[in-house]
Amino acid sequence: MTENDFSRRDFLKVLGWGGTAVALSGCGNTSIQDGQETVTSYVTLPSYVTPSISNYFNSTCAQCDAGCNIMGRVREGRVLKAEGNPNSPINRGRMCGLGLSGVQAHYNPDRVREPLLRTGDKGETITWDKALGLINEKLNGTKGTEIAFVTGGMSGHVQALLGNYMDELGSKNHFSYEAISPAVLRAANKKAYGESMPRYRIDKARVVVSFGADFLGAWVSPVHFSQQYAQFRKGSRPEGRGVLVQIEPKMTLTGANADRWIAVRPGTEGVLALGIINALGKAGLSIPADIAAVSHEYTTERTSKETDVSAEQIEKLAALLKERTPSLVLAGGAAEGYAHGSQNAAAIALLNRVLGNVGKTLEASASVPFPQIAPTVGSRSSLIALNDGLAAGKYKVVFSYGVNPVFSAPASMKFKDNFAKADFKVAFAQYMDETALAADLILPLDSAMEDWATVVPEYMAAPEGAGSNAYAQMSFRQPMMEKVFPDTRGVGDILLALLKQRTADKYKEFEDFYSYLRSAVLKNKVALGGKAGDDDEVFWNETLSKGIVPLKGIAGSVSAKASAAGLKLPVPTDADPSYPLRLIPAVSASMRDGRNANEPWLQESPDPLTTIVWDSWVEINPKTAAKLGIVEGDIVEVTSKSGSIKTQAYLFPGIHPDAVSVPVGYGHEAMGRYARGVGANVFGMLDSVFDKETGELALNETSVKISKTGQRVIIVKEEGPVGGSQAGKPKIAVQVSADKVDLSKEV
Amino acid sequence: MKCFLRSLTLLVGLFFYASSHATDALPTLTTPDDVGPVVEQPIEFPHFRHAGDAKDGGMQINCMYCHTYARRSMVAGIPPIQKCIGCHQSIESVRDKPRIQKLFEYWDAKKPIPWKKVHDLPDFVRFNHERHIQRFYFQQDRPYQEVCGYCHGNVKAMTVAQRQKPITMGWCASCHQKDHPVSANSSETGHGPNDCFTCHK
Repeated sequence: MTENDFSRRDFLKVLGWGGTAVALSGCGNTSIQDGQETVTSYVTLPSYVTPSISNYFNSTCAQCDAGCNIMGRVREGRVLKAEGNPNSPINRGRMCGLGLSGVQAHYNPDRVREPLLRTGDKGETITWDKALGLINEKLNGTKGTEIAFVTGGMSGHVQALLGNYMDELGSKNHFSYEAISPAVLRAANKKAYGESMPRYRIDKARVVVSFGADFLGAWVSPVHFSQQYAQFRKGSRPEGRGVLVQIEPKMTLTGANADRWIAVRPGTEGVLALGIINALGKAGLSIPADIAAVSHEYTTERTSKETDVSAEQIEKLAALLKERTPSLVLAGGAAEGYAHGSQNAAAIALLNRVLGNVGKTLEASASVPFPQIAPTVGSRSSLIALNDGLAAGKYKVVFSYGVNPVFSAPASMKFKDNFAKADFKVAFAQYMDETALAADLILPLDSAMEDWATVVPEYMAAPEGAGSNAYAQMSFRQPMMEKVFPDTRGVGDILLALLKQRTADKYKEFEDFYSYLRSAVLKNKVALGGKAGDDDEVFWNETLSKGIVPLKGIAGSVSAKASAAGLKLPVPTDADPSYPLRLIPAVSASMRDGRNANEPWLQESPDPLTTIVWDSWVEINPKTAAKLGIVEGDIVEVTSKSGSIKTQAYLFPGIHPDAVSVPVGYGHEAMGRYARGVGANVFGMLDSVFDKETGELALNETSVKISKTGQRVIIVKEEGPVGGSQAGKPKIAVQVSADKVDLSKEV
Repeated sequence: MKCFLRSLTLLVGLFFYASSHATDALPTLTTPDDVGPVVEQPIEFPHFRHAGDAKDGGMQINCMYCHTYARRSMVAGIPPIQKCIGCHQSIESVRDKPRIQKLFEYWDAKKPIPWKKVHDLPDFVRFNHERHIQRFYFQQDRPYQEVCGYCHGNVKAMTVAQRQKPITMGWCASCHQKDHPVSANSSETGHGPNDCFTCHK
């Protein structure tokens, strides 16, 4: 090309014209292909189907634990898209990108299609009869105490069946595990307000101070909070437009939306909270004596020194909180991932008590009146218990469902090796993920769009109006279409078949999980909002078509009982010089803990802050990067005491200079073509440090060092060059290069 | 300059190459050549028997009795077998005819009939039956056989359908550019839309 100066540009020009000429010549009959394709008619047609017109079926999203109510758009027997159910108090007709990608979990080409049995290093396809028979055989002669179940967060009738099955086996070893779980928050809330998941009312607050709670991105129930946030930001609200302050060492999506974003030194969130309480006291707010006894030590000077937040910022923040009530203070993952995470959360909860928010912007929630279907929430501490049991050889048969601990456990736990010690491992799996690969028997599951289930969300959102304090709900998940792969089965159906092996008589009236669910719902018709005289068929169909069953729940109560007694925050120490930087594993709105990494829409949708696609990255503050001589695109090695990863460097002013951040969820070694080998797995390199009170893995307690490998790549991202011109046009705004931006000084 | 000449040569060459094909396939309006190929169907369905005039032994059934979605949806729809059986289960006189026997075979096996598409538009084109039927049949009150016939020809005289019109963009546009009265009793006229994205996906 270069030697005869016929450039790429000329070539493209010619190609363009040539293409037009070819297209023009193609306007004849060539594009009509009579008699080539088949147009298959229905044999019989349900009265509600009109070809080419969509039907909508109400169901429940399975992409995260928020349990948003969705409607599946179904055309000619295929589900095409998920929409939000407008009658849902959770998502109120809205969806997030993660939820929308649910169809890719359903149509995914890498789904497991038949039961697989491992023999040595090879797997073979077996029939369902053989698979279920094999489980029966292995369980005979195994004591209940030697059988363990590891699942994600669960609820509803599948959980009830699992409970029954475990009772039949005499096993009490149910480990509910979530890699990214608000477990510290639950414990701290329970202690501070008397309820583990009170209702947050961002929409009622005049100012929200969030200590690293990414409630617009990945925290608890983000679509619900986004709705509240939209109300919060309305100037036409009686309370006026709310002010959002986000305090976190690494900017999240919520931080990017905040009026003021404050980069705090990692781990000192609790210190800052007490410093603000002290400043509030100085500004004239009355502080309860027990709190003042602790907070008076945290003078503005000391707080400023320890947290890296300027004295002026602390005083401004206190003035803002004093002036605008009610406010709401949130504690999120960024504040809790430390050995003193519970203490941090407790200190932050004190702020809500001091400011009088409890009962105003923190409301009591309600729980479902049926304990068997109430949510079992997952935590990381349960995995540690399972891991210890496995290491001690306590468990012979292990069932896993809806979790991938082999991927998300830190390498230092040696979970994979311990898992291998169990004689027989059964994975209920939709994909060949890392845990399924390590199992002996893999049972292929229906997707959430093919299966029956009921779901009770942990965060119980309520509609406005009377009775909302006792509002609880159960949501239905129903099949939207025929199975994509005929030989997969629903988890409820498998559990029922397993139960029949143990106690055939009790379950003989139920042909499948559908009939079990139907009969369970009809038996409780009155409690589920029907009347005793209602026709069963009519009631069932109406309930299903709504997808949401409002229940008269058990109303909880919140009280401002947060106490400062026993609160002890460590004085920040100087970093270990050999590992000078704090690693913050970032939870992004689309990738979460990596369970959906095989959905290409999520891989290709740019990260909201860095706009990077299809890979991991490490965020480094430009100042730190300058010191280390790193520029954007350098492949760097991030090394902790427990492991290391290699990934591309991204210079990002929205991170504290003492911290670096790598998103979790990438770096799968299995899980199909879209997930395998994309990015690096940061879970593996985390140090085994635990929160002292809850025993949760402290995600942010890993210190790292960064070294250049000498390689450099061009980062694949959506954003243009920072400070560059817009495709040759005059500059549209004053642009500051990334290393000159200091976001903590903004606003 | 050298580069310009080189581009020009390539461009002119490409143009001649392409246009030599273009002239071969250039469509003219509705000639016998526009008739599509005979498509072999799993059952040789006699349209003339169902829709044909009484004098020719037909039953004069409205097209939309079977292609019932044409007035409500994008597609006219191939009737479900249920529809055929609905009538044929009580028409004993033709029950032993080979085509009817074949129909019942499909019905008994609950298997759909793999009909071949006769009017198969390319995937980037959207055609909406509902709009055309609503406009010409319901608003302008024209006879259904005429309305359906604009595009499908004289189906009532056919056994299995065979394409009668070119169904190309030029052919569609030739009608969309004509002025039509907007309703049966109106002197006001209008024409079909000419926006690209009305038809092109």
